[in-house]
Amino acid sequence: MSAIALPGIEVDPVADQESAASATWYAFRRNPLGLIALGMLVLLTLIAVAAPLISPYPRGFSTDVLQAPSSAHFFGTDSLGRDVFAEVVWGTRISMTVGVSASALAIGIGVLVGMLGAYFRRVDAVLRLVVDLSLSLPVLPLMILVAAVAGPSLGTIIVVISFFSWPEVARVVRSQALSVVNLPYMDAARLVGGGHAWILRRHLLPAVAPVVTVSVVLTASRAVIAEAGLSFLGLGDPNSWSWGRVLYESQQAGSMTSAWWTTLFPSIAILLLVVAATLVALAYNDARNPRGRES
Amino acid sequence: MSRLSPSLRLGVVAVAVAALSACAPSAPQTAVENGATGNDGDNTLTIATTTDVVNLNPLLGNSRTDSWVTNLMYPRLLTIAADGSKEPALAKSWGYSPDGKTGFYELRDDFSWSDGKKLTATDVAYTINTIKTQNPTGGVVNGFMTSLVKATAVSTTRVELQLSRPDSIVVPEVGFWMNVVPEHVFGKQPKMDDFPNNENWVSAGPYRLSSVVKGQSYTLDRVEPYPLAPSGKPSLAKVVFRVYPDVNTEILALKKGDVDVIGNALPPAQVKDLKATNGIQVAEVPGLGFTHMTYNMTRKPMDDVRVRQALAHAVDYPSIRAVAVQGQAVTANNSPITDSLKEFADPSLKEYPYDPAKAKQLLADAGVSGLKLVMIYSLQDPVIAAWATMVKDSAAQAGVTIELKGLDRNTYLAKTAAGDYDIYAGSFAIMDEPVSNMSLQYLPEGAINYSQVDDPKLTNIIRQAQSTVDPDKQKTLVRQAAGYVHANMIDNIMYVQNLNLAYRDEWTGFNIKPSELLSIIDPSSLAVVQKK
Repeated sequence: MSAIALPGIEVDPVADQESAASATWYAFRRNPLGLIALGMLVLLTLIAVAAPLISPYPRGFSTDVLQAPSSAHFFGTDSLGRDVFAEVVWGTRISMTVGVSASALAIGIGVLVGMLGAYFRRVDAVLRLVVDLSLSLPVLPLMILVAAVAGPSLGTIIVVISFFSWPEVARVVRSQALSVVNLPYMDAARLVGGGHAWILRRHLLPAVAPVVTVSVVLTASRAVIAEAGLSFLGLGDPNSWSWGRVLYESQQAGSMTSAWWTTLFPSIAILLLVVAATLVALAYNDARNPRGRES
Repeated sequence: MSRLSPSLRLGVVAVAVAALSACAPSAPQTAVENGATGNDGDNTLTIATTTDVVNLNPLLGNSRTDSWVTNLMYPRLLTIAADGSKEPALAKSWGYSPDGKTGFYELRDDFSWSDGKKLTATDVAYTINTIKTQNPTGGVVNGFMTSLVKATAVSTTRVELQLSRPDSIVVPEVGFWMNVVPEHVFGKQPKMDDFPNNENWVSAGPYRLSSVVKGQSYTLDRVEPYPLAPSGKPSLAKVVFRVYPDVNTEILALKKGDVDVIGNALPPAQVKDLKATNGIQVAEVPGLGFTHMTYNMTRKPMDDVRVRQALAHAVDYPSIRAVAVQGQAVTANNSPITDSLKEFADPSLKEYPYDPAKAKQLLADAGVSGLKLVMIYSLQDPVIAAWATMVKDSAAQAGVTIELKGLDRNTYLAKTAAGDYDIYAGSFAIMDEPVSNMSLQYLPEGAINYSQVDDPKLTNIIRQAQSTVDPDKQKTLVRQAAGYVHANMIDNIMYVQNLNLAYRDEWTGFNIKPSELLSIIDPSSLAVVQKK
């Protein structure tokens, strides 16, 4: 793209963005629920990163099968005598990896498609049709089908989830971008000779960034749920621990009725992550809204 | 006999159940003694299952529940004991002519179809010939009929099988695995594969289907007279199979009293808990099959015997049996002829000790390092799914990386059929006939040759065993073949699992038969079970 110096146009938006960001952060901090949720996300991220320091990897077996929670096993043991606490801790790592990776992939595709549709009106009809068609697909059965055919692996799960998540992102981004592409500053950017890629990157992308931020968090939490669902159906990666796999193994062993700890703790973990992600997204959305800040 | 593919197994088992029920005259007496206080059999027994009915034609391969239902309607000629030996059912006696080229069944004369027609040798001959000529999809019986030319009803109670060569397999195996169907109903159908048998059922078992709510329940009503029930009257008024989504909901339903029996075997980890639950009894059903892993011998480096032996040494068998199977299994000594078949088992064969160091040494001798293998198994088998991770972890101790691929049933079957795996893990419900089993497992053209073995020496031993009718010579050859399989690690037979079935304790008089296919809901059991 062209490297045209446009000092007047470049400097001011950046300054605006910085002040807008600090205003948003200021408003966000005034929302206690949002802060608690953010703290929870940070904590879960720390657990994921520091899993090896918290608990040894749950491998092997022991003869202490289906032991109730105790000081030796905080979350009890499963049907092979493995520590459920260790499974949940290490599951945090995989579940969050899947959530972040699938979300990143879905956001990447969705943002690209959404912006292209809004910016290049000639391709918009086609892209919109693709998005609408994708949104009308029965997502869960298709996910199950694709995961079953492709075989269980972490990569498969990430690709499958992101493949079925991007259309929603694309639709949200497109509608936001549509409200921006006809504004005078976009015309000005075109008039000064800016290339399409440059305009998309420097002007359109920052304009849709707030909705993307919200989408990232929500898509990631949905991806975690989708991963847990697929794993619970046995379509997860049997070579790594995720929260869904802990639930699946409990179901397979028939211990859901007799060993509540094998299902309760991974379920709580999923709940915490999803609720925290949703609350953070809501709080952020409120905080970046100038009206919300004023009230 | 065979190791059946999962669907085949189910079918076979179901068939076996029917046969079992049909025979076993002694069981009714026991039950009568135990349950003499029953209220004349006006009872309904509800059985929980996790698999829905696929079709109700017993000649086709089908699901476990199909088999349980059809076994209650279509009798078998022979039934099976815990040691794999055959016992009379619809057939009173069976055997071969002196030259071995004619087999026969002598039938009971007191069986009738529920529409009043007599069950005769014509029905049996019709069933045999139909299976021989049509080879119905998914059925296993045709696999035993390689030497059969045709069956003929020489009288109302005698069927003779014309054979192209002496064959010790065909009479006992067809007798056990085949459900006899009514010619006057099935004979109107040009092609068995197109006949779902989903209405107007005609039964010669103790019960007959009366209503079907697809995906939910299957109800059978009592049929009288049933010659193998006391006084010809089956003890239950109705048998209901109810479909549940998984074993957890089944257990809840059993505890609550919504169902009386859980038809499928309990996950090992639940046995202790249910045994301690008030109002619930757990019956142990002896295993007659085995669970094994095979190493794909067409792929390098598993074509090297040292690599296969190394893999066998890298499995912690005692821990798998103690933890994953909760002590409800016994070793198979890595031999395809397990101790269940007492007459044939070779006591000198011992299990490969778990020895990662030795495994490493064997791999080094074979010049193999950094070995990475893919192991497939069915997610429908929770026990294998549980120990798959144990195999992976113990193999890692020997420097072997195993990638686990737990697959849904259809993908698993497709990959198995295509030989698309390094290691295959699975189990067979009933392995009752050594020569037949080994033919199917280890001959190059064997239907369940999951090791992909093509070893001329082994083939030669099995072929000799097939063609001999001398029992002692056959036993020697069977042991020789089993020893060869063991020494060359052609098939890693890991354990024989005893199954556990749960039922509510107000019921008594269950007749226990081997394997999940027969277990306590075999016709011989359901014809006599009583409410206390």
